[in-house]
Amino acid sequence: MGEIAPASAPLDRKTLAELRLRLADTLRARAGEPATGAPRELLVCAGGACISCHSVAVADELERALAASSLAGRVRVVRVGCMGLCEAGPLVVVSPDGVYYQKVDREGARRIVAEHLIAGRVVSDLELAWDAPDGRRLTGHEVPFFAQQVKIALRNCGVIDPAAIEEYAARDGYLALERVLFELSPDEVIDALKSSGLRGRGGAGFPSGMKWQFVREAPGDEKFVVCNGDEGDPGAFMDRSLLEGDPHSIIEGMAIAGRVTGASRGFVYVRAEYPLAIERLDNALTAARRAGLLGEDILGSGFGFDIEIRIGAGAFVCGEETALLRSIEGKRGTPQPRPPFPAQHGLWDKPTLINNVETWASVAPILLRGPQWFAAIGTRRSKGTKVFALAGAIRNTGLVEVPMGISLRTIVEEIGGGIPSGRSFKAAQSGGPSGGCIPAAAADVAIDYESLQELGSIMGSGGLIILDDRTCMVELARFFLEFLVEESCGKCPPCRIGTRVMLNLLERITKGEAVPADLDTLEALGRHIQRTSLCGLGQTAPNAVLSTLRHFRAEYDAHVLEGRCPAGQCKALLTYTILAEPCSGCALCAKACPSGAITGEIKHLHVIDQELCIHCGACLSVCPTDAVEAV
Amino acid sequence: MSTRNELARANAAVETRTGEPPEDAVAPATLALIDTYLRDHPGGTERLIPVLHRVQEELGYLPFPVIKAIAERLGISPIQAYGVVSFYHFFTTTPRGRYQLKVCMGTACFVRNANSVLEAVRDTIGLEVGGVTEDRLFSLEQVRCLGACGLAPAMMVNSEVHGHLTRNGVRKLLLGLRAKARKPHTGGEGDNG
Ligand SMILES: Cc1cc2nc3c(=O)[nH]c(=O)nc-3n(C[C@H](O)[C@H](O)[C@H](O)COP(=O)(O)O)c2cc1C
Ligand code: FES
Repeated sequence: MGEIAPASAPLDRKTLAELRLRLADTLRARAGEPATGAPRELLVCAGGACISCHSVAVADELERALAASSLAGRVRVVRVGCMGLCEAGPLVVVSPDGVYYQKVDREGARRIVAEHLIAGRVVSDLELAWDAPDGRRLTGHEVPFFAQQVKIALRNCGVIDPAAIEEYAARDGYLALERVLFELSPDEVIDALKSSGLRGRGGAGFPSGMKWQFVREAPGDEKFVVCNGDEGDPGAFMDRSLLEGDPHSIIEGMAIAGRVTGASRGFVYVRAEYPLAIERLDNALTAARRAGLLGEDILGSGFGFDIEIRIGAGAFVCGEETALLRSIEGKRGTPQPRPPFPAQHGLWDKPTLINNVETWASVAPILLRGPQWFAAIGTRRSKGTKVFALAGAIRNTGLVEVPMGISLRTIVEEIGGGIPSGRSFKAAQSGGPSGGCIPAAAADVAIDYESLQELGSIMGSGGLIILDDRTCMVELARFFLEFLVEESCGKCPPCRIGTRVMLNLLERITKGEAVPADLDTLEALGRHIQRTSLCGLGQTAPNAVLSTLRHFRAEYDAHVLEGRCPAGQCKALLTYTILAEPCSGCALCAKACPSGAITGEIKHLHVIDQELCIHCGACLSVCPTDAVEAV
Repeated sequence: MSTRNELARANAAVETRTGEPPEDAVAPATLALIDTYLRDHPGGTERLIPVLHRVQEELGYLPFPVIKAIAERLGISPIQAYGVVSFYHFFTTTPRGRYQLKVCMGTACFVRNANSVLEAVRDTIGLEVGGVTEDRLFSLEQVRCLGACGLAPAMMVNSEVHGHLTRNGVRKLLLGLRAKARKPHTGGEGDNG
């Protein structure tokens, strides 16, 4: 395996220091940072998304091609975590050249070896490139998607092999833990976190240093540290990528917290939908134990700490901290009223520190580079960076880490590369089912916890779904309410019954059966549910409706007053007609129509009887020539 | 409503759906699996969810007598254990197919027309959400986000994610799986899921 020997023996501080010296340049070069003497390496993205685009086969092919070439034994293929640009996967990077190749298949893999590595020519038709407005062709780390990012939590994702603890260590991994064990007092660590301004990345944005202090000061000789990796918001996948791409950063953060708060056991709660994250984390835990970085007497400090994985079982509400703790105890995951907070009465009623995956991954860099460095990034009240998952109607789907305070416009237009298919940017949905929609008109607002809240949404875990003009905001609100009705745990009536009633009203609107007063009822009911629900799920459930009512009232009115869906999505409100020009008379629509509303002779124009049409859209979806028009 | 009634109803519901024998007919191998797991992982009732995961991984579902056997061993009532099983979407008390299709209906997939994936599954193998094909080759569920939003619309087949799905892609994928299942052996093959 080249120069990096797997550590089977415990790593002591001296070995760790040597590793860092020896491998530093190699890894810096991979990350695109200045380095000298780094060896040639091929980095293949083995993140979840690239794997489903067969990146493993690409890595194997690269190795085969190398072995059969004059470079045999001289260039390594490294399987790294998610590089972020999922849209262009499978991605292959030639380091230290900093050349990115996109959508690489086996044939592409052979060409990279033959043309780039052996003949010394960049394979330009496979190269990831971006045409700048000024006509320049940007490549490598200059591509706006990468150039605009500031990576703190994601510092190692796409750079290291997550299965190699040495590579993590060489990126100054476990150095912060060493400092905490041998140099810093627990209070100094807490002070550093406080002055860094780090706030919880799981949604609510609670100041992390304060939370750590509460747990440290809570009386009790047994305490726990928990990582929230439930990532329930649909559209969010940053925690998954972190667990898959850099599991040691979470382990290190938790071990530091164990030392600071006096806990000796930690739990990582990961959702069952993430089998690869579970596997990589499990391997990392084993490696850390073997290296003596978990377990008893870590690095000879006398401090002992270990971590267990708990697998979720598909309940959105279990992302809520009190529900999550009940679930770890083996119970139904129903939330508890707070106070008492987990910091005083958490797991098995003991003081418990619970943080989100991304929060954990941010701890070590803050301690190593200093709180002032972190606090200098971001806005007045929201410091540092935030990872966003870009998805929906956007060209560059993937993961990005950007400074707080960046505008939505920069994210969408520059980093995200704009809206595909000539459509226009309508809104961004943030915060998952608890969040709301930010209209395009507010695209220049500096994003932070407070500004999003003022717009009626929330930061949430960082899922950012970009919507174009084809998305109906009423239908989107209905979609979220349906989700929440299903996921409400049923314990408190405002949430259990209130969300159901809201859903019924929204269904009436999307079917064109609503009356104007329904909109007022929706709004009043929403406010009531916000005020009276037991946990965050219910308290935020109306956000999707209230924020779309606020920013897209005209669209609701069109449904209610005119029986019209401006985005053309609410099937019941559409009128279907068959256009003469494209219709080939194939009769597929007539066969598909469940109500027998379509007639016509083979090879002649077909016609829809509007009296019989039930607006199901079946004709539209089967027509091979796009002859069915819905308006 | 008394616990006993709820238990009886739950029990009956499970039995009629699965055709399982009513008595505590748990295969010795399954009991051994449970006992081994509990022996290797000492602790208390917090082991309920992990052991349910382990058994469902093996059997594909959680028949009521198995839930009862687990409850007994953990010293909790069967209804308490059943309450946990019914709370979490991931656990199922009905047998699933050999290929478990999980179509993502998360937001990113929703706005990229995940409905058409569901429709394509229905059109190709006649399955509705929650259903299992008669040969038990396929079962269909909808899930909320696979974390593969960059590949929307996405679907998981067992533990493998398939992304950028089109109607045609879904059709080809499913027909391919069916052909594969039929090729090496004929008959019975699909029934061991
Ligand atoms: C309904 C609901 C769902 C939540 N889901 C998650 C989640 O999936 N992941 C997460 O980290 N936090 C989630 N939270 C927030 C947690 O309750 C908690 O605030 C967080 O884990 C604390 O960590 P942090 O301070 O590092 O953000 C959720 C909250 C609510 C009310
Ligand atoms: S919304 Fe479908 S994978 Fe995330």
